[in-house]
Amino acid sequence: MTRLEKKAWGNLGGMLICVIIAGPGLAIMVHLNTTGTVGLASFLISGLIVGLISYRRNIKSWAKFDEREQKIAARANALSSCVFILFLYCASFVVFFVVGAKNPVPAYFLPAMFVSGLFLMIFVQSAVILIQFAQERHDE
Amino acid sequence: MSNARLSNNIRRLRFEKGEMTQQQLADLVGVTRQTIIAIEQGKYSPSLLLAFQIANAFGVPLEAVFQYEPENPAPSPNSLI
Repeated sequence: MTRLEKKAWGNLGGMLICVIIAGPGLAIMVHLNTTGTVGLASFLISGLIVGLISYRRNIKSWAKFDEREQKIAARANALSSCVFILFLYCASFVVFFVVGAKNPVPAYFLPAMFVSGLFLMIFVQSAVILIQFAQERHDE
Repeated sequence: MSNARLSNNIRRLRFEKGEMTQQQLADLVGVTRQTIIAIEQGKYSPSLLLAFQIANAFGVPLEAVFQYEPENPAPSPNSLI
């Protein structure tokens, strides 16, 4: 198994752990109808920490991939970015037409939509990488 | 889409170079074994830099390793006269 495949499996596993941990947390925050700057600050700081760690990990691991793996990853990144944009486009317009143009939507809908889009993007990215490697193995 | 392809003699050159394994060649040029397999089978066209590194690992010129097979071969100079 190549490093890129391991990274893709790691992303899928990490995503699952994030869903297990963050899902109930988000549900509790919605239930408590959380407001205020303390909640916002803790949310932003934890997001910043996770973002920085994953960014550093990506930069480090990218240098270890060979040129073919980098092409596979670039293809997966391009496709997953398209899926992310398409998801946000569909999600915003579906709500617009389902709820109605002048009716309010719950505030938790926006972060939930964005986070769901991010998870979908990482899932598609990892799946595309694994499918490409599986196809190559099938052809060998 | 162009049907031009890049053929190569890596497999033959490996065996001429003392039965070098794909892993040994991969280590020499700094890629994974899967990349060498893909190049050998013509499924992946390496960058110019990697192509030169592979030729250098065998100690032969680039054209001894890779051959370009164009879709429409260029006419010979004599046929233009």
